[in-house]
Amino acid sequence: MVPLLASRRVVLGLAGGAAAALAALPAAAADPAAQLVERTSAEVIQIIKSTTPGPARQAAMQKILQSNFDLAYMGQTALGANWNKADQQQHVRFLKAVESAEARAYSERFGQYGGQTVTLGKVSSRPNGVFIVDSRLNQSSGQPIKLEWEVRDVGRGLRITDVKVEGVSMVMTRRSDFNSYIKNNGGTVEPLIKELESRAGR
Amino acid sequence: MMGSVSKWLAGGARRSVAAAALAAALAGGCASGDTGAAEVWDPIETPNRFIFSFNRAIDVMAIRPITVLYRDWVPEPAQKSVRNVLDNLGEPVTAINEVFQGDPSRAATTMARFLVNSTIGVAGLFDVATSLGLTRTKEDAGKTIGMWAGKGVEPENGGFYLMLPLAGPSNARDATGLMIDYAIDPFQILPIAFNWDWFYYSAPRYGLTVIDYRSRTMFALDDLEKNSVDYYAALRSAYTQNRAELIRAKREKTDTKGELERRDNLALVK
Repeated sequence: MVPLLASRRVVLGLAGGAAAALAALPAAAADPAAQLVERTSAEVIQIIKSTTPGPARQAAMQKILQSNFDLAYMGQTALGANWNKADQQQHVRFLKAVESAEARAYSERFGQYGGQTVTLGKVSSRPNGVFIVDSRLNQSSGQPIKLEWEVRDVGRGLRITDVKVEGVSMVMTRRSDFNSYIKNNGGTVEPLIKELESRAGR
Repeated sequence: MMGSVSKWLAGGARRSVAAAALAAALAGGCASGDTGAAEVWDPIETPNRFIFSFNRAIDVMAIRPITVLYRDWVPEPAQKSVRNVLDNLGEPVTAINEVFQGDPSRAATTMARFLVNSTIGVAGLFDVATSLGLTRTKEDAGKTIGMWAGKGVEPENGGFYLMLPLAGPSNARDATGLMIDYAIDPFQILPIAFNWDWFYYSAPRYGLTVIDYRSRTMFALDDLEKNSVDYYAALRSAYTQNRAELIRAKREKTDTKGELERRDNLALVK
């Protein structure tokens, strides 16, 4: 185990060195995790450019979420210890409601396209198979926003499992949010699912 | 002073540290505690929630509508200048904190910024210093305390969570920092020492600080409120994570691996 890790680190180190030597080449392009992030942000920017907030944009966002994010993993993580309290059917309903809630949030988050670009930074590979991709969201005015992407493979291919905006993890914030709601509503998952479903219907 | 602060903080931190130590002991050394995924320590949640609803009422009735008018009707260069003046008044506090963070050269840069902007920049209206290559930093005593809190204390752990009336989310660490910053701010001391007219100096500064701060956080807070089922809990988590990120960036100059190792240890699904 240990020699294997060490050798991978050496290989990554060499790759990093090579990328640094060829400064003209975008350093990130070689890495599959960085490619995934690059592709996702390009797709999102494309959607913001070509649509206005509404059902069409929401559907497009949902498609990106489905194909580039591991929504099942994110949903399970957000429920935390409460995941095991829910039954199979509740899991399905919960994930469906969360998916449409996220799609709606993303479609409303950006109004008109304001000239934002995403610059990729360094990729850190962790021994547990998680990749952390650093990036910056550059705005036309004001400071760039720090974005970190967590990419991992949980049996569904390489997928994005979390996005951190200025250190605030989307999944962790949802997790606190959901946990607290469950605690204040009888300690079961059902009221939360009902609430999310009614929001999706609105 | 610092001793008593750290002692007080350690009191707030004791519970989580003990829990982390226990978890580490139980795990038998294969992984350290599930630190990052832990909930924010909020022993006075009921009064906090009460103050939170009070703050929201004030916000909905007065602060937010005024901020919307300010954001939409005041020309952008004017808003920028207001921000520059307020930022400039805050530079001495940042410089003092940078000294206590053990970075006197950065403190010198901040003071250079202050001198340049106060003179050539016409009392801070224009940020000339940035175009001269003196980049801006913003430090506060909460970050200074968090930076020196010690290796055992995660930056997520700022003592108990605290909702301040009118000022919003905070915790034991950051509220202490706020008081320290207030006490060391020359622009709080001068008006008292020289008996400046409150109406013409302090009141506009407070008012504009609130409006400027609210306009900066408008987008993020609206988003958080709309997309959460428990806004209080979501804000508590987001605030804690964001502060931790800022403090971790300060600590990381000496301890780069901390954050990544912490993330490896997140026991996300229990």
